[in-house]
Amino acid sequence: MVKVYSLTSCPWCDKVKKYLKSKGVEYEERNIEESDEFLEECQKLTGDEAVPVTTIDDKNFVLGFDKAKLDELLKLSA
Amino acid sequence: MSVYDFTVKTNKGEEKSLADYKGKVLIIVNTASKCGFTPQYKELQELYDKYKEKGLEILGFPCNQFGEQEPGTNEEVQTFCRRNYGVSFQIFEKGDVRGETAQPLFKYLTAEKKFEGFDENHPIAAKLTEALKANFPEYLEGDGIKWNFTKFLIDREGNVVKRFEPTTTPSDMAADIEKLL
Repeated sequence: MVKVYSLTSCPWCDKVKKYLKSKGVEYEERNIEESDEFLEECQKLTGDEAVPVTTIDDKNFVLGFDKAKLDELLKLSA
Repeated sequence: MSVYDFTVKTNKGEEKSLADYKGKVLIIVNTASKCGFTPQYKELQELYDKYKEKGLEILGFPCNQFGEQEPGTNEEVQTFCRRNYGVSFQIFEKGDVRGETAQPLFKYLTAEKKFEGFDENHPIAAKLTEALKANFPEYLEGDGIKWNFTKFLIDREGNVVKRFEPTTTPSDMAADIEKLL
């Protein structure tokens, strides 16, 4: 399952979500402002509190809205 | 009258009197969004880490009257946002800092310390002036806040000692801070 860690009113998070939708990728959103559990997961994964963070295996992740890196992570073709 | 006469709201919506900071040296700064490229957050945090034990407090007031980005940093645009702005000093509720709708605290600060020009030697000075001329020419006139990260230094008695424009890097304020600590 693809997870997207996000914040409320974070334009880059919105862009990632929109991009994944456009590619037909199902994901679960985890807002780190609304849940301490999600915040902890995000900190553990990245060592930081910056989002959007996209991951598929809780190990490799992409920070920010970077189409090329997202494509690589999720093995998407253009 | 001093800054202690003002009450502001924290980012959790709670009222906070600046009199609670009596005896501290303060930096009051208008900050930008949590998403732009804003190296000054990092530098302010470094000042805070260095001097908080000696009595420095930094009070950040987010404002979006100046657009989302710092000018002239397009090549370094970040595509992420940070929870809590990545800082541990106090961030207050988002509000206006210039014009009729400015928070009273900022009306007071800008009346106490006037605009004396940008530091032309700073790398962003030329770009900032250009960006203001193009987008907010009226901002260049008068003593109002010109852009994100205008910093006011307050002594332990609540007097506004000095104003630093966005073109002063926080680390360059160290000598002035030390004089007050």
